[in-house]
Amino acid sequence: MSVKYVPVIWNRTKFVYDAVVLATVGAYLGIYIYVAPMFQTVTRPIDWDIYKAQAFGTCVFFLLTFILCIGPLARLDKRFLPLLYNRRHLGVITCVLAYFHVDNILGWYNAFSPINRYVSVFIVNTSFDRFLGFPFEILGVFALLILTILAVTSHDFWLHFLKPTLWKTLHMGIYLAYALVVAHVALGALQSAAGPFMTTAVGASVALVATLHLLAARKEHLFDTQQNTMDDSGTWMDAGDPKDVPDKRARIISITDDERVAIFRNGKKLSAISNVCAHQNGPLGEGKIVYGCVTCPWHGYQYRLEDGKSPPPFTEKISTYRLKLENGRLWLNVEAQPPGTYVEPTVSPIMMEGS
Amino acid sequence: MAKKKPDPFFIGWAKKPPKSLQGFLFLISAILVGAAAGVAFGVGSSIPDPGDARFAWGAGYQTFTGYVDAKPYPLLRLPAGENGRDKPHAMLISGVGKRGMQQLAGPLDGQPVDAGGILLKRGDLDMLQVGGKVSLRAAENPVQNFTPAPAEHLGKWRLTGEICDGKCYNGAMRPGVGLAHKACANLCIIGGIPPVFVTSTPLMGSEFFVLADENGEPLTTEVEDWVALLISLEGEVERRDDLMIFKVNLDSAKQL
Repeated sequence: MSVKYVPVIWNRTKFVYDAVVLATVGAYLGIYIYVAPMFQTVTRPIDWDIYKAQAFGTCVFFLLTFILCIGPLARLDKRFLPLLYNRRHLGVITCVLAYFHVDNILGWYNAFSPINRYVSVFIVNTSFDRFLGFPFEILGVFALLILTILAVTSHDFWLHFLKPTLWKTLHMGIYLAYALVVAHVALGALQSAAGPFMTTAVGASVALVATLHLLAARKEHLFDTQQNTMDDSGTWMDAGDPKDVPDKRARIISITDDERVAIFRNGKKLSAISNVCAHQNGPLGEGKIVYGCVTCPWHGYQYRLEDGKSPPPFTEKISTYRLKLENGRLWLNVEAQPPGTYVEPTVSPIMMEGS
Repeated sequence: MAKKKPDPFFIGWAKKPPKSLQGFLFLISAILVGAAAGVAFGVGSSIPDPGDARFAWGAGYQTFTGYVDAKPYPLLRLPAGENGRDKPHAMLISGVGKRGMQQLAGPLDGQPVDAGGILLKRGDLDMLQVGGKVSLRAAENPVQNFTPAPAEHLGKWRLTGEICDGKCYNGAMRPGVGLAHKACANLCIIGGIPPVFVTSTPLMGSEFFVLADENGEPLTTEVEDWVALLISLEGEVERRDDLMIFKVNLDSAKQL
């Protein structure tokens, strides 16, 4: 969290995260470029520029695969949440590597010609009506354009400027970029320039991304379709036994298909706030009360329980909800209060702190 | 009193991740780096063989004296004895980069010439990248008692294979075939490099055919749509010395 814009708010976690990413990329490129050639069964080696292009290109593909796996992995197992924390740096590194791939291709396949190398990408293959033979380079260009937009707008300045909903929608473009990259690889490299290992690895990667997303979606769907009893007025929803809310943690209640409320317990006090973090729509209900504030599991944004406001000097605020206790059961008023509205916490006398 | 169950919670800006998560995160990091190394090795070491095609830089600048045919694409017709061959040899020529030799070869069509440059070789195939001091010029000392033999007509055939550009296939690029190379091949063909047909099975010992239209003229730009695909083509085959020419109508092309 920050009240001013700086290029990167470095902390120890980000340093370690980036070090692991760079070690991963370094291991990939180092082994691909300098070790693997010693084990190839080729009459003569592939041209150096093309080989480097393959190294960077495949690295980008596998990094994108990994990036897209982080989200569903974190939904399925909370231990993967730390991988989400600095995912934007991973995305920017991926985009930079994609430019190295393009530079090597343009400097070799598209060079040595009277036609400008950048122009040639768009005019030398116009077989748009074919499947095999389709100008797959164009797909790569569009993917690169998306990656570039996402990298450029990855900073929190753009998040605040565009607002979280639009920013999040824009950054869902990563899925379109991945689909374009998969098609780019399938219609290009896999048709002639890749061995059986690459073909298998690409297939496995796509299957992994799809499977993890389906599993995560199934889990979310099961949660959202749970039925909660409403009272006769239709404004209060049965939120269960207050003892089921763990101390310092939350119970998440699904009000509608796209609205969830997090009911937190801090000792004997219970408060309900929106489940959606104002920063990047992170699932606040999977967060924890730290230093008296609800802390988002994605990036550590914090909110006070009683009014949904971030502690000063921060300015984020989220909706709050009213709670009541009746006959030992907790009831949630489904009408959201305007963001930052104070709501007196509900006290449950039968609960002990830390229980 | 029962021991309280640990409830680890990661906060990015905290000094350290919770102790109970540190081992897991270390394990994930190690798996990531290990998987990257393993996948890189698997992908990099299993690439297909691009073949024995290359620039013969080691042979240095070479000059040849023979005749030039400008159509369908510039060829050098060399007498027996050149480079240890016991029969006359027809060799494709190109300019530097993705440029053909039509401008220089056109006015010299059918005349004795000197040609100098760097050889490209792929097995028994070769091509001369013309340039340097000699380039392509009227012969200063034409070869005595040598006139290229007329083309030998070998009938009508339907052949299966892939259209490539003659220069990359001969060694200007490795790999110089396949869909990943299509844009490069098209750029070469646009620049005047001869399109060639590399067949899946040999015809009369040859798998390499220079393409021409039915009248023996250069192909139209329509050929670019068929480059790098597995196709069949129908046309007349003729032989000039040891080089096959495949005179085709692109309307006969079928993608396989």
